[in-house]
Amino acid sequence: MSVDTVARSDFKSVRRSSVVVGVLVAFVGMVALMFMGSSSAHPEPVRTTWGLSALVVWVFPLLIAPLTYLAIAGDRERGSIKYHLGLPNSRGEYFLAKYVSRAGVATAAMALGVGTALVVATATYDSAPDIGRFLVFGTISVLFALAMAGVFVAVSAAVTTRSRAMFGVFGAYFLLSAFWVGFLPVLNLGTVLDAVGSIPGVTVSDSARAVIAALSPAGAYFNLLPELVWSDVLTDYDTFATFTDRPDYLGYEAWFNLLVLGVWAVGAPLLGYLRFRSAELG
Amino acid sequence: MSAVTTEALTRRFGDETAVDGLDLDVAEGEVFGFLGPNGAGKSTTISMLLGFIEPSDGSAAVLGTDVTEDPRAVRERVGLLPEGFDAVPNLSAREHVQTAIETKGADDDPDAVIERVGLDPDDARRPADEYSTGMFQRMALAVALVGEPELLVLDEPSAGLDPNGVRLVREIVEEERERGATVFFSSHILDEVERVSDRVGILQDGELTAVNSVENLRSELGMGAVVRATVEEVPGDVAADGTLAAVEGVTDVTVEESTISVACASPRAKMPALRAIDRATTVEDVTIEETSLEDLFEAYTGGQGGPTSESRPGAGGDTVGGEAGSAGQEVATDGGVRR
Repeated sequence: MSVDTVARSDFKSVRRSSVVVGVLVAFVGMVALMFMGSSSAHPEPVRTTWGLSALVVWVFPLLIAPLTYLAIAGDRERGSIKYHLGLPNSRGEYFLAKYVSRAGVATAAMALGVGTALVVATATYDSAPDIGRFLVFGTISVLFALAMAGVFVAVSAAVTTRSRAMFGVFGAYFLLSAFWVGFLPVLNLGTVLDAVGSIPGVTVSDSARAVIAALSPAGAYFNLLPELVWSDVLTDYDTFATFTDRPDYLGYEAWFNLLVLGVWAVGAPLLGYLRFRSAELG
Repeated sequence: MSAVTTEALTRRFGDETAVDGLDLDVAEGEVFGFLGPNGAGKSTTISMLLGFIEPSDGSAAVLGTDVTEDPRAVRERVGLLPEGFDAVPNLSAREHVQTAIETKGADDDPDAVIERVGLDPDDARRPADEYSTGMFQRMALAVALVGEPELLVLDEPSAGLDPNGVRLVREIVEEERERGATVFFSSHILDEVERVSDRVGILQDGELTAVNSVENLRSELGMGAVVRATVEEVPGDVAADGTLAAVEGVTDVTVEESTISVACASPRAKMPALRAIDRATTVEDVTIEETSLEDLFEAYTGGQGGPTSESRPGAGGDTVGGEAGSAGQEVATDGGVRR
């Protein structure tokens, strides 16, 4: 099957570049340091998954950006796309192969990172980590990684040059993570919704805000953790206390947030492909 | 059945018309030379034939399949050597060939294909990003040859190759023709095309200005080559009494100071013409000026909007500025002014 052949050759090509090694070492190293450093401050590893979630949302996308933004735009600029598409591969097969290969690397990096967390936690914490909890955390994090890789590969498929791909990928990161979740003061979704709400005659209810805030991969990811990973320890730590007694809004429902991540992981590449399908590759 | 047919194939980029109403018909089993200066629209045409870009107008069929409807089916039967592409990073030539074999479901032996294009087996296992242009071009040729394609599309296959490589391309084209394949061979070098092609189509500014065998094109225009001999003393009757004009294939004789210029319609006329001059007087110096692609273009297009010096062919290195009036004194090597 030709998806398989293209994906394997792309994976080989990526695997041999020093970028992948750098990304894996950087992510695994950060996770290991974080867990080792916190083992004396917190008796239970679950508390440190809070910090890990921040690493996943804020740092991980930046690490996989160099692995994904050139997936297709790089081939177009180098012309090696004519090698792949000069062979009997359809554009759909080529695109899918690229996504599979790059998302596979992102998944492997995430799995390795969470796996490292589990191993370090087992070795250094007073109380043993809950393996089930780490599995759920890892699964949600992989879903987040797939969503971000999907967005980045889609950007790569939709533009013609590497510089545009780079701007597009960092723009997507800024919009979907920093802006949406409110990492930056003032310049964030909250202030925009406040502004919209201040228009006479327009009201943005709290439940609507919760739904809108859940619509980015980062928003959905952060919503899922208190529901599925930290639900039994919310009262144990002050850090988790903000998630207790959240209203029954749709935006906080686990199924809704899972759906959002799934839609990003599938929908973003699909949009990228639709753009790529009729692209000029001359 | 035709291997390639296009009808009024047109491609515009904004206001620019890259390919303008191209009507082509390449027969199966034929070696077709697609000749034109850089920027004439050759690669754009090839991109349309492979489904990389859509035509603005008109249609194209390759091996009987409409390329806009099923480009993948077309590529299953075509071997492509694209112009100006880079290797897949970190993959060796052997892996490029192996991937092509798997994708085409062919049963070629990658090492045999690599040997056929003259790539060193050790080099073939190094990352292709590190290759010289010549090595890379050999790899690209190997990829195109995988799976015994019915149609080979070679876009500037000799770019960056040394003379041995150029000869190898020629031999492979011959072998592929023997096998029964059609070869669509694009180049800006007349010499390269004329040696292998059954017919040549000349593309200039997106328009097909001529389709014929090179020999016919040349003889039609009476412009095969010009032999210029600087002689000790010009015999009075050299042009007049027909000694030279009687040589078969000579179409024109002009004399300027001590230089005799003989226009030959066919390559075979050159030596007899030179011998005729040699018999009549002492020849001090000889230059031979092959008809350049530009001359052919100019002849077909009335000399307006001719190609620039960048597009001059490298054939033989004896291309002359083309200024017939001042010929004989100095041969400019690249159309440039020498002081």
